[in-house]
Amino acid sequence: MTELAVRLAGVTKKFGTHTAVSNFDLEIPRGTIVGLLGPNGSGKTTMIRMIMAILLPDRGTVELFGGFPDFARRSRVGYLPEERGVYEKMKVLEQLVFLGELRGLARREAQSRAGQWLERLELSEWSGKKIQELSKGMQQKVQFIGTVLHDPDMLILDEPFSGLDPINQEVLEAIVREERERGKTILFSTHLMEQAERLCERVCLISRSHKVLDGDLKKLKRRERSGAVAVEFQGDAGWLTRLGIHDIEVVDDAHHIPVTNRVGHDSILAAAVREGVTLRRFEVLEPTLREIFVRHAGEQSEEPAMAAMGGAR
Amino acid sequence: MRQVWIVMRREYLERVKTKGFILSTIALPVLMVGLIGLSAFLGVQSERSQRELAVIDYTGLIGEEVAGRLAAFGYEMEVVGADVGQEELDRQIMEDELEGYLVIDDLTLTEGVFAYRGKDRPGSLRRNLFERFVVQTALDRHLSALEDGASVRALIEGGQLDFESVVEETDGEDAEVNRITGIVTGFGGAFLLYFTMLLYGAYVLRSVLDEKRNRVVEVVISSISPWRLLLGKVLGVGSMGLTQLGIWFASAAVLAMFGVPFVVAQLQATGLEDVLQFLPGPGVIALLGTYFVLGYFLYASMFAAVGAMCSSEEEAQQAQFPVMMLLIVPFVLQMATIEGSGFAWMDWVALFPYFSPVMMFPRAAAGAVPWWMVASSLVLMALALVGTAWVAGRIYRVGILMQGKRPTLRELVRWVKTA
Repeated sequence: MTELAVRLAGVTKKFGTHTAVSNFDLEIPRGTIVGLLGPNGSGKTTMIRMIMAILLPDRGTVELFGGFPDFARRSRVGYLPEERGVYEKMKVLEQLVFLGELRGLARREAQSRAGQWLERLELSEWSGKKIQELSKGMQQKVQFIGTVLHDPDMLILDEPFSGLDPINQEVLEAIVREERERGKTILFSTHLMEQAERLCERVCLISRSHKVLDGDLKKLKRRERSGAVAVEFQGDAGWLTRLGIHDIEVVDDAHHIPVTNRVGHDSILAAAVREGVTLRRFEVLEPTLREIFVRHAGEQSEEPAMAAMGGAR
Repeated sequence: MRQVWIVMRREYLERVKTKGFILSTIALPVLMVGLIGLSAFLGVQSERSQRELAVIDYTGLIGEEVAGRLAAFGYEMEVVGADVGQEELDRQIMEDELEGYLVIDDLTLTEGVFAYRGKDRPGSLRRNLFERFVVQTALDRHLSALEDGASVRALIEGGQLDFESVVEETDGEDAEVNRITGIVTGFGGAFLLYFTMLLYGAYVLRSVLDEKRNRVVEVVISSISPWRLLLGKVLGVGSMGLTQLGIWFASAAVLAMFGVPFVVAQLQATGLEDVLQFLPGPGVIALLGTYFVLGYFLYASMFAAVGAMCSSEEEAQQAQFPVMMLLIVPFVLQMATIEGSGFAWMDWVALFPYFSPVMMFPRAAAGAVPWWMVASSLVLMALALVGTAWVAGRIYRVGILMQGKRPTLRELVRWVKTA
């Protein structure tokens, strides 16, 4: 049994003249939370649809659980498409039971599980209502329940958090973490960098149909460290200027010292001791995901990428 | 199979529970039966309650005879001579002692013109009776003065065409009844088949299109194969159709068994057997069912394919045109040859499987084609169904996951090949 949940090798998909995904390689180990990050139109949804065999690649191979995403393998996945696919005229509970039964749950079992989930997501009182009577966010929660109801090995969620208020986003995030604790693999796409940063163990950054970076988020951040330092202390910043550091940014009471000052960490610390400064914090800064993204994708596509991300926030 | 059942049950329940279904299936026939029953009932009742009439006869010749005939039909009649003035009768009407009266004078004898005076205009039933009896009485009077009055009367009342077949006669009157029944059933059945295939086909199309448009199908298809999904869907809509037809047939049967005798009895005619003998037998109904099932699957699969290749309602409107033509053409042809005979070559056209429900069923019901032709049409339809379902299933499979503009014919061929 392979350790990989998903493997893409040299995958290319074109729509007419537009290349949606270009020569893409990706490996997703089992039992992790993976974020697929990129601005709108960068090819995230196309990739997910290929993993679910809704689209077939023009070139390259897509493997799910070690083989072609056939019917048996797909049924081990809970899939939440970007467009909210629901039977609008069906009642909430009936729809969930239908989906559960379709995936092999007995009717009773589907009913009781759906009931529990509805309670957890505070939708119990809506269970007899038609889906079209629910708000967009509630519809999305119902659909999310449909995705996890049959307890699949893997969750593939296309923009699961968009359109949800912060409280519901947190509820969903908690569930995703819980599923991970239970050994599930979770792949989700988002254009919200901060959220991916909170949730993911691995990330895959996409820009303009190409992979920018992928890998373990912590390792990625360590590797991407610039060497900039954040210092918090009592008193004025005179000792820093005496050290020859002029280019200082003040962020939330902390002085950020960019690497451009060419001053070693050791000499800063030594100066603080020498001058008798009371240090509260001394930290080698890790770059945010956004910074990493801009650093790498920016070279080829900063303008549209940032515009798209900024606009989507 | 369980999955097919689950999809079918959902499709069926979601449709049967809609207001539209309940309205069109139950309310409509109930309303129609009710309205027909009510109007018949009211007509008969009002006719019964107002039966005191008078005849004022200025000729003194036919008044008694007219009154006698009306009395035999249940009216309370009174004949008055010219000595009682019309003012007196008018007064009686105003005081509700009398419903109305007929005025007969010389013009009635020569031209059949007479008057009815009353508060209300006479209903069509009553008007007919009056006209028939008064004119007949006047005519009788003239005829009785003639030597060959009887033959003149016979000619007036219309001749009769006797058909003498050069083929050996089977069983006379029964055969004639069967023939008429067959034609009527055939025509009604053809219309029903045409109408239901169009209607339920459109339901299948809508169902496929809706699932595709709101992307539910992407979720569902990860758990069920397209074939099963399509089969469940078609079966679900089909069972809804059978439910609807069942209810319609049942209410029609109730109407025929209770409604018709009621009306007939009230009108004191003796035509009950005449009406009932024209009802179709179980064999013909079974044949109708067979054509319905085969025809429905044939057209449902085509409509499903159309739904799968479109992305919007407007597109579907256009794309379903060829399929609809396959239904409309035989219907028009059938209307042109209602009796199912006359154009022998049409019998062969009726063998074309897509035309068979609308064209071959009426021929079979009317007994206008030999049995082997009916059998071959069923076999051909079954074969066409297998082929059509195969192609449609492949188009469906690719189409439901395709977004964007409608495929060209060449792309469609590629879908069928690659699916």
